[in-house]
Amino acid sequence: MRNGALSGLRHRSPVHGLDRRHLGPPEVLAQSVSSAAPAAAMAAAPAIAATTAGSGTIWSFVIATVVSLLIGSCIGRFTRRMAVAGSLYSLTAKGLGPAAAFTSGMALLVGYGVLVMGALVGSATYVEALSERLGLAGSRTTLVVAAIVLGALVTGGVLARVRLSARVVLAVEAVSISLMVVVFVVLLGVTPAVPAAVTGGSPSLGGIAAGVLPALSAFIGFEAATALGVEARRPFRTIPRVVQWTAGVAGVLYLFATFTQMTGFAGTGLAAVDEPVPALAIALGQPWLALLLDLGIALSFAACALATLNALVRVVFSMARDGIAPAALGATHPRRQIPHVAIAVVLPVVVVVPVALLAAGVPPAKVLADLLTLATVGYLVAYLLVCLAAPLFLRRIGELTPAPVVVTGVLVPVLLVVLVAFVVSAWGGLVPVVMGLLVLAGLAWLVWLRCRRPAQLAAIGVYDETVTADVLVIP
Amino acid sequence: MTSLDPVPLSGRQPRAVRSALAVLEEVVAAGPGVTAKEISAALKLPQATTYRLLNLLVGEEYLVRLPDLRGFALGRRAARLALPVVPTPPAAARAVVEHLRGMVRWGVHLASYRTGQVTLVDRDPDHPPSDEVVLARHPHASALGMLLLADQPDWRALARDLRPLTEHTVTDPGELDARLGVVAAERMARQCGQVRADRGCIAVPVHDPASGVLVAGLALCGPAPRVAEPNAELVTLLREHAERLVPLLA
Repeated sequence: MRNGALSGLRHRSPVHGLDRRHLGPPEVLAQSVSSAAPAAAMAAAPAIAATTAGSGTIWSFVIATVVSLLIGSCIGRFTRRMAVAGSLYSLTAKGLGPAAAFTSGMALLVGYGVLVMGALVGSATYVEALSERLGLAGSRTTLVVAAIVLGALVTGGVLARVRLSARVVLAVEAVSISLMVVVFVVLLGVTPAVPAAVTGGSPSLGGIAAGVLPALSAFIGFEAATALGVEARRPFRTIPRVVQWTAGVAGVLYLFATFTQMTGFAGTGLAAVDEPVPALAIALGQPWLALLLDLGIALSFAACALATLNALVRVVFSMARDGIAPAALGATHPRRQIPHVAIAVVLPVVVVVPVALLAAGVPPAKVLADLLTLATVGYLVAYLLVCLAAPLFLRRIGELTPAPVVVTGVLVPVLLVVLVAFVVSAWGGLVPVVMGLLVLAGLAWLVWLRCRRPAQLAAIGVYDETVTADVLVIP
Repeated sequence: MTSLDPVPLSGRQPRAVRSALAVLEEVVAAGPGVTAKEISAALKLPQATTYRLLNLLVGEEYLVRLPDLRGFALGRRAARLALPVVPTPPAAARAVVEHLRGMVRWGVHLASYRTGQVTLVDRDPDHPPSDEVVLARHPHASALGMLLLADQPDWRALARDLRPLTEHTVTDPGELDARLGVVAAERMARQCGQVRADRGCIAVPVHDPASGVLVAGLALCGPAPRVAEPNAELVTLLREHAERLVPLLA
């Protein structure tokens, strides 16, 4: 036996306290799928992409699917080898070191946090639209009340044991996707004929590339299962597969939704329509579909809020266990085995902000669009860093092969261009100002850590290490 | 536990299975801490293949990655590939157990935890213990089993199925967790009628003083209503004998 190889083993995992090794693959899959909120994106994303890509919108989504699968493969390089609670933040630490991991952590806090807010606003918006379609009074009060009730429901969901929480997410998402598939199949069925515009035409390459931007933002959240690494029963097998599956399933759903909508609006062009799917439903004499659609999207956003919140609190928990956030945030509830202090701190922020924005009279569509833009920037930064980190991580542990280098070489320029284009496209509104403030806050935090807690900062990257009980030793 | 796809072996799969077994053997031969590169070189396997096999074996928990993420060691699951070998306790240890038997009217049993489950290594011939398979499979019910669970960082990994053996068996995870907390704090486990309705047990642990590892448990078993009493003198006697076993078993 080699001396000392096992002497570094701890008696318990640094992320102890979570419900270790308990979630089955369907529950983990639900976390990722819900966080990507495919039902909501199926209705909205194709029309946005069509404004630049035109008849080439399908190709924009094909490219976005491939990019997502490649990002998933980079994440898989880590998740096949380590189980984390801190999502991409903890992974990046193992490849790029503390400063990049900290940046990734900040980006994820913004990405996850703002996506939860956006999902609450989105769900409330569609609940209000639903009540209006049913003939009930749709008003700002309805909207605010819906947001508060949804906030309370999500609170209940995240405070339950992770197993129950994951099952609720699974059930809601299953209903939501089924509703959307029904809506789109019916729409495709009643559309007269497949016109030439779907298959023919010559879309410009630049247009298709610009369409990748909104198409890719429809995928964000597909990595969320990474945050359940500690809680998954077989993390090294389940997590990488689930992330790839989510990218694949979302891609298929988006391509199907895009095809349906382009077929429906072959005459006028998809980009010219404000709310394409309901308009299509009414134009084809199937107004009841609009009801199902609103319900499906509201459920999808609600599941997205809960799933993303689960990931968010685990990032905060991991930062606390790393010693770069207050230690109290790393506490877990002894019976429920959830990071309850992190939840108590995070929840008020992500619920109060959207409720306040809606109550203040900002148009909900604008709130939703701005929040989603901000969240996407956070995600893109985190994706970029984890893709850069993958080959470096493999080299550090001596397992580098050519494939990961090639994947990173392709992805990094693409993601950089997308990120820059995204920030530029949001220029002029309130979003860049908020982004600037967040960057400043992050820098201030980093400088404080450098001065006050250099040792903790240098050692970040807590994960579910192998402990003495996991290893077979000669008695 | 894992459902295996009923796919017949085809093409290159037999070679992959042989390579996977060779990788396992190489980890045993080289010792804990061996890296992927070293395994690949030793077996003359292509690097990419070695990494895939290693990740597969880690995913199935036959191997684990050590905290530096470079080195590998055998995982707990690999123990299932061999018959558990439990060494017979030395004569001196059996003499201590026999001494206790002479002082009490209840059954006295000695169990080893070396295999990661309850294995009786010295059974009281005058008071036969419960079925050993039951003791090994359902640690949540027995006093010796609760000592083992209370020592785990996460007892749920060892006791997945909290099935009731009698009406007194604790089957609620929350309640069991609380009771295991008491067991760990008092360094003593007690159960009344949880394995067999009419019997009860008090058990105390034997730890290796150097590493703190739980090596054995000494149990005193009698009629359930009598076990429920405080039995302060008996517990003191039991602890004294467990103390004498430390240098003999650790």
